[in-house]
Amino acid sequence: MAEEVLRLEGITKIYPNGFMANKDISFSIGANEIHALVGENGAGKTTLMKILFGMEDCQEGKIYINGQEAKIENPLDAIAKGIGMVHQHFMLLPSLTVAENVTLGVEPMKNGLFDYQGAVKKTQEIADKYNFKVDATSKVKDLSVGQMQKVEILKALVKGARILILDEPTAVLTPQETEELFEQLFALRDSGVSIIFISHKLEEVMHICSKVTVLRRGQCMGTYDTKDLDESKISRLMVGRDVILKFEKEDPKIAQNVLEIKDLVRINSFGKHVIDGVTFNVRSGEVVGIAGVEGNGQSELSEVIAGLEGFAEGDIILNGKSIKGMSVRQIRDNGLAYIAEDRMVEGVAGDMSIKMNIMADRFDKKEYKNGLFVNDKKINEEVEKHIKDFEIMCDGPDQPVRMLSGGNVQKVVVAREFTSGANFILANQPTRGIDVGTAEMIRKTIVRKSREEGTATILISADLNEVLECSDRLLVMRKGKVVAAFPKANEVSEEELGEYMLGLKQMSDKQMEGLL
Amino acid sequence: MKGSRKTQLIESIMEVVRIVAGMAIAYGVALLILFLISDDPAFIIKQFILGPFSSPRRIGSIINLAVPFIICGISMCFMYAVNKFNLIGESIFMLAGCIITFVGVKIGNSLPMIVMVPLLLIIGAIVGVVLAFIPAIMDRKLNANVVVVSLMLNSVVAQLAIWILRYHMRDTTIGYTASEIIPESMQLPNIFGSLKIGSGIIIALILVVIASILFFKTSFGWKMRLVGANPRFAKAVGFSTLGISFAAQLLGGAIAGIGGATEIMNSYKRYLWMATTGHGFDGLLVAVLAKKNPILVPIGALFLAYIRIGADVVNTSGDIPYEFITVIQGIIILLVAAESFLSGTKNKLIFREVQKEEEKKKALQAKEEAK
Repeated sequence: MAEEVLRLEGITKIYPNGFMANKDISFSIGANEIHALVGENGAGKTTLMKILFGMEDCQEGKIYINGQEAKIENPLDAIAKGIGMVHQHFMLLPSLTVAENVTLGVEPMKNGLFDYQGAVKKTQEIADKYNFKVDATSKVKDLSVGQMQKVEILKALVKGARILILDEPTAVLTPQETEELFEQLFALRDSGVSIIFISHKLEEVMHICSKVTVLRRGQCMGTYDTKDLDESKISRLMVGRDVILKFEKEDPKIAQNVLEIKDLVRINSFGKHVIDGVTFNVRSGEVVGIAGVEGNGQSELSEVIAGLEGFAEGDIILNGKSIKGMSVRQIRDNGLAYIAEDRMVEGVAGDMSIKMNIMADRFDKKEYKNGLFVNDKKINEEVEKHIKDFEIMCDGPDQPVRMLSGGNVQKVVVAREFTSGANFILANQPTRGIDVGTAEMIRKTIVRKSREEGTATILISADLNEVLECSDRLLVMRKGKVVAAFPKANEVSEEELGEYMLGLKQMSDKQMEGLL
Repeated sequence: MKGSRKTQLIESIMEVVRIVAGMAIAYGVALLILFLISDDPAFIIKQFILGPFSSPRRIGSIINLAVPFIICGISMCFMYAVNKFNLIGESIFMLAGCIITFVGVKIGNSLPMIVMVPLLLIIGAIVGVVLAFIPAIMDRKLNANVVVVSLMLNSVVAQLAIWILRYHMRDTTIGYTASEIIPESMQLPNIFGSLKIGSGIIIALILVVIASILFFKTSFGWKMRLVGANPRFAKAVGFSTLGISFAAQLLGGAIAGIGGATEIMNSYKRYLWMATTGHGFDGLLVAVLAKKNPILVPIGALFLAYIRIGADVVNTSGDIPYEFITVIQGIIILLVAAESFLSGTKNKLIFREVQKEEEKKKALQAKEEAK
């Protein structure tokens, strides 16, 4: 094995809500190595890296850098010790240029003032050195997601990072951008940077990493040479069983239109058309998937359909009635169920009890009231039933939702939305960041409801596997428009999807006719 | 999986410990200050701690002082529940007292107490609703910050109340500015004999019960707490967040109005306020101490009344200025409002608990394997 650069020993982290995120984790990383850290969502990868980067403290454990024990109190410490981290969510200032972002904190100075030309020169030098094609003088807000990621990596490199942590770097990239990133990672590795690559995309791990450390439910399942493993072996280590990649489902029994969206336009406060003439229908009994790189109008579309925000032009018709001017309550009474993208913001009230969160959309209805008062008995019965049916792991109905794990919070959300009696479900990223078991339950329920109850569903997801698996019809959104439509989602390849998502290809209206 | 029953228990216990420790530290600082500035610290400290209990009259004073604290605390619970720091209660309290005196004196003794008292409480409540409406509507329609508007409005309303007293209800037969003596039919009788406790405490406790039921047993209370906890979520599940927070503020205003009315009927013979009384802000302090839970409001109010009376005692029987009590209050608010005070200890306790459970699990597993 190459010379050891970093070693973690016995790291244990328990969050204040009692959740043990890491349990006695030990592994080490050598020089010139791309080391994969894999595990399901919620296995503790991000937490472990946050500890390494000084963003979280741990209760037990030691970190050694180049054989020396290192105390990492905060990210500045980590940077000083040669650790760089590229987060899942970029930490960039959109209104500043690439050079300004990259040199932030290590600004070149001239006569006591910021030397912009110097910053550009410094950025360009380091970008050229590693063959990163970015223009140091362009503003970050004008960059594509792939380029922003390069800026993030440059930010770490300019501060002298010798250990680079990449937290799910490919999650936001198209397949083409991913390839490009890998080329650069190889170049970095050859120049002596050790890379920790966090991912749950196994083919990528097999492709670029020489070693793999597997985490499962906060515990370390061991470190392996990639050459001794294959994808199915890793997946067994990760979840203790084979991940079901194919999803058996019956053909949909499609009936009448439930939701009709006609020439919808939404303009944001900067005058940008965030939804730009979208037209499509969702029929009873089918699941319509919407794929796309995040930030191409999917969130805006779901806010409009859920009645949380208005729209400028066009119309949305749900069960024969236009939702224009309707309150959220009226839209819900007209058949909407809504699984929000950010569950802690729109899906639950964290400080409130599980009971209140499950009943939030209905405790106000007649059947749950005794005159002026809430009908405690009836509400408790129903909540107990949902907690059991959806297997919500909790102390009881009065526990605040914020004390639950991500997957269980999402179970609270779906326990409400799946049982509201709606015939249209709007599910935006319903399985993001939650454990495999819960994700599978949610996907299966969505499909089952469409087959058995004739529910119409829109499934918006950044997880390509998920939209391809669960959807019947598949649409692709880019820059606020629907740019592609496929009649059968499971016959579309990820490669082909990537080309539409990235804008390399676009279907004409004629090609999409009859598919919207 | 996570969040064992015990972690929840630790959380709630530590919450109580945190508040009690906050009060204890503030109390300790109070003792320290007394020790430093007094010529006879032993006597003064004893007076501060035990003085409030030294006579039935003083114990009665604690209860009587707690009455407006309780009512204003309840009032602030409503504002606080929907996260609107509408501080108009301060001047509502004053104007409601002023208006009900005006009306009461006009009516005189022609109505029996059983009609008079409820009538004046309702008038006080109406004053509160009308006043609370102004910052609430400006917040909603003009997006004017509710804290700023209500604070400014407090000055305006205070001047209005002074004007009414000076020009429309002043008793010209006495040498100071005050109203005529209020009719006996609106002077709440004392209860519990020698303790001289006014029956206003009954009104306060009824309000505590009503507010608690409203908060926890009615769908309006649920909606209110939901809107306060996460307005975006409340909107997403179909509630009119604006309407609910509006209604909560009006209710809070009504209760502050009842507070002003009760205070006049409970503790005064004439109306003579020439400035706001501070009860609105005391209400905020009590609501923070009670963690916006109306059931806990009487406890916070009694504590506040106790240290106020203690300050009163050391002021009259020793060499300590009454103002030192403001210092103590400041420390209490700081410590109670500081959410992460003692959070390190809490986290350590939870950490230990989880570890214990893990060990138990391991032992159990080992046993099963042995079988």
